[in-house]
Amino acid sequence: MTDGEWPAEWQPMIDAVGQDFGGGIVYVAADDVEKALVRRYLEPLEFDCPLHYDEEVARQYGYRGIVAPYSGMSTWIADAKWKPGTVAFTSAERGALPPNAGLGRYPMPGDPEPPRLPRPPTEYSFVTETEVDYVRAVIVGDRLSQTGCRLLSCIPKETRVGRGAFVTTEVEIHNQRGELVARMRQQLYCYNPHQKAAQ
Amino acid sequence: MPDWVQRYWEDVREGDELPTLEFPITIARLVIAAAANRDFWPLHHSSEFARASGAADMYANNIFLQGMWERSVREYIGLAGVLKKLGPFRMRGFNVVGETVVVKGVVRRTWQSEGENFVELELRSENSRGVLTVAPGPVIATLPSRASAPFRP
Repeated sequence: MTDGEWPAEWQPMIDAVGQDFGGGIVYVAADDVEKALVRRYLEPLEFDCPLHYDEEVARQYGYRGIVAPYSGMSTWIADAKWKPGTVAFTSAERGALPPNAGLGRYPMPGDPEPPRLPRPPTEYSFVTETEVDYVRAVIVGDRLSQTGCRLLSCIPKETRVGRGAFVTTEVEIHNQRGELVARMRQQLYCYNPHQKAAQ
Repeated sequence: MPDWVQRYWEDVREGDELPTLEFPITIARLVIAAAANRDFWPLHHSSEFARASGAADMYANNIFLQGMWERSVREYIGLAGVLKKLGPFRMRGFNVVGETVVVKGVVRRTWQSEGENFVELELRSENSRGVLTVAPGPVIATLPSRASAPFRP
């Protein structure tokens, strides 16, 4: 493939913009939003806000209980790193990763498969942009679920780190009451580093 | 530590600046952040992996960076303020270990709609050298009004 041809690999994704790739699947978070998880979330931020650790204060301000920080939406909805009946750590190779090292889904046999995004393989990705509409607060004790995966845009681009595309999707997050908590749009840069891209 | 004196919507003026916050980024802090936000993707705790990906070193993930903005906003809007929208929160550069993330903010506009009192804040993150790492982006929140019923408590 010549230098000018690589963006064509992303054309099927561009053609799919507007489609929902959620497959109607409801992903339920691995855990309830727990007080300890919220407390630990505050630590690296040195975030001294009593709404996030003092139930009495949170109730005084009209909340059902301790409020989880809004910025942690991806954490409150996170899947497990290991599940019973599976093996996640299969190699002693120094850099080996479990199936869900980041904040994706942990694959289980028999899980419904969502439609695959028609994207070329890439070695790396990172979040480049996030936009969240906060509809209601997440409260300690809530169990969140995520639905949908609407492809909003796909923009091939060569950057300082490699060749790939900026891919934006939107999901909805609900609590255990079925109430909409947030709509989250996230853009990932999915790419192959320059050395690999040139091969 | 913030004093949590409540700010009212009437107190806010366009152009008001939020207090600057600084977050020195160390390996320990990145690891504590990963343990807290559950993102163990090695870009955020492995120099080796991060460098192979094209970054200069391991760097803070977007949840950690969003949290820095949330702390800045919360300390400005107080306990009675309510976050309504973040973003676009656009990362323009890596916030790598050994740098200090500096979060700054300014009030861009205020308005009232359907009984709520809105403020739009524009936040930005820079590294120790003053290089923009998270683009100026909006956060929308509501504040209590002196003219309406007092907030609880």
